[in-house]
Amino acid sequence: MLHLLAIDLKKLTSYRTFWIICGLYFLTLGIGAASGMELLKWIANTFEDFGSKLNINRIPIYHFPDVWHNLIWCSGLLKIVLAIMVVISVTNEFTYRTLRQNVIDGLSRAEFLYSKILTNVLLSLMSVAMIFIIGLITGLIYSPTLSFEALITDLEFFPAYFLEIFFFLSYALMLGLLVQRSGLTIILLLLTPVIEAIIAAKVDNFAPGLLPFFPLRSIWNLIPWPFPRYAFREIQDYVKLTDAAIVIAWTAAFNYFGYLKLKRSDI
Amino acid sequence: MEPILSIRNLTKRFGRLTAVNQVNLEVYPGQVFGMLGPNGSGKTTTLGMLMGVVNPTEGEFSWFGQPPNHQIRKKIGAVLEHPIFYPYLSGQKNLELNAMIKECSPDAIPRVLDMVELTDRRHDKYKTYSLGMKQRLAIASALLNEPTVLILDEPTNGLDPMGIAEIRELIKKIVANGKTIILASHLLDEVQKVCTHFAVLKKGNLVHSGPVGDVGKGEEAVEVKASTENLNEVLLAFNGTASINRENGSYLVALRDGFHSDDLNRFLFEKGVVASHLLPRKKTLEKQFLEILSGHH
Repeated sequence: MLHLLAIDLKKLTSYRTFWIICGLYFLTLGIGAASGMELLKWIANTFEDFGSKLNINRIPIYHFPDVWHNLIWCSGLLKIVLAIMVVISVTNEFTYRTLRQNVIDGLSRAEFLYSKILTNVLLSLMSVAMIFIIGLITGLIYSPTLSFEALITDLEFFPAYFLEIFFFLSYALMLGLLVQRSGLTIILLLLTPVIEAIIAAKVDNFAPGLLPFFPLRSIWNLIPWPFPRYAFREIQDYVKLTDAAIVIAWTAAFNYFGYLKLKRSDI
Repeated sequence: MEPILSIRNLTKRFGRLTAVNQVNLEVYPGQVFGMLGPNGSGKTTTLGMLMGVVNPTEGEFSWFGQPPNHQIRKKIGAVLEHPIFYPYLSGQKNLELNAMIKECSPDAIPRVLDMVELTDRRHDKYKTYSLGMKQRLAIASALLNEPTVLILDEPTNGLDPMGIAEIRELIKKIVANGKTIILASHLLDEVQKVCTHFAVLKKGNLVHSGPVGDVGKGEEAVEVKASTENLNEVLLAFNGTASINRENGSYLVALRDGFHSDDLNRFLFEKGVVASHLLPRKKTLEKQFLEILSGHH
């Protein structure tokens, strides 16, 4: 297993585009996650312009345990960057025809796919680790009182965050394997939320019960929008197992479709 | 002796086009097996099936007596069509990656780089290499894990005469090491120079297969020149003569089966004719190849 991961990393670690995209991703992730207070100040200033006062210190976005859910939800928005990297990595293998040479040299098609999936797992785990560290630091700085109990509350959002990233990277990988051209794949990737929203709107008219089963809807449900809680609204501040099951099923399906496509095609 | 490669009824159809049709073939250890055929005759598709990148429509094949799988492919060095590497990686790193895929030690890299004379350029990116260097790197990569079988598909394609000579020398070096080689090419000259056996594909059908040594056998033709006025009549009187053609001031005598140039020479001498020029012309692979192809419409 590690052998296959090492093969894919060998391809990527000398590829400048990989470092640039991953560097930008983790940089944006880090800076973005750490600048929530700046955002709040900006919001407070805007409020002041309208004549009302907002005490930002009373909005505990960086307090344990809120910080976990807040950070994870926001970081989820950046996963598209990582997904584009995955698309480039897999479509390159078609453009350069290196997939063909890999198979000739003795890699099985399944092993080729595993090597890409393992990289997806690694990138997802790195995202999780990054957010955990930033969450821990900002939480320790901003939480008025520290309690271990508050710190370990809501940690279940981390496995959910892992699922969210891995789900999306699996989708990008499958799309890359099906389309094989980077430009077209990236466009389809970007259009997916729009297309799904249009279909969902139609389906909503006659079978609203199906909506939670839509792929992007399922990750949206897995980690719900946390900020309405600061406007005194009830939010779901836990992970529902049914949502997780739907996300896992989609992730497995994406990787399996990718495998079927790879197995059947002449490369 | 067990064949290294055994192909049974191998067929590949792309929609309505049959690229390879019911091919049966066996390759034995130590052979240098030439696969001939015009462009588009199914050579690369056949090799693609043998290397697991094209799924056969029908038929089967076995390597070393075993059904094909990816572990067996690791023991075969193959370059199909043109060299394929990661353009942004250096020659050295590309070979390191290939060593990982083939699960062999990277210790062989300096040796193979040396063999193809790329040691000086090993740290340059692959995309900066000339076509000849790319071809040589591909051969280096195929030799990495000391394969017992080497598959080369048009290894001299697109090379200048010097590049062709370099690759040919390299092939001879490899042959001298006792490896089995399958060489696909449409350059007949190349096949005749290095191969021990050859097969001819035409529109996906295997139309001929046999040893290269047989090519020169069969009827022979002799070019004759002599300063005798009635040379024509003398030659006709020889009972081994099948036909005579005048060609650029000399006579081209086609001999019947069983007669050779020495028989003709002796006959002329007995008749008191001394030939100033007597040149037996063996059939070239090129000629035979064209005959085989034209015989199967």
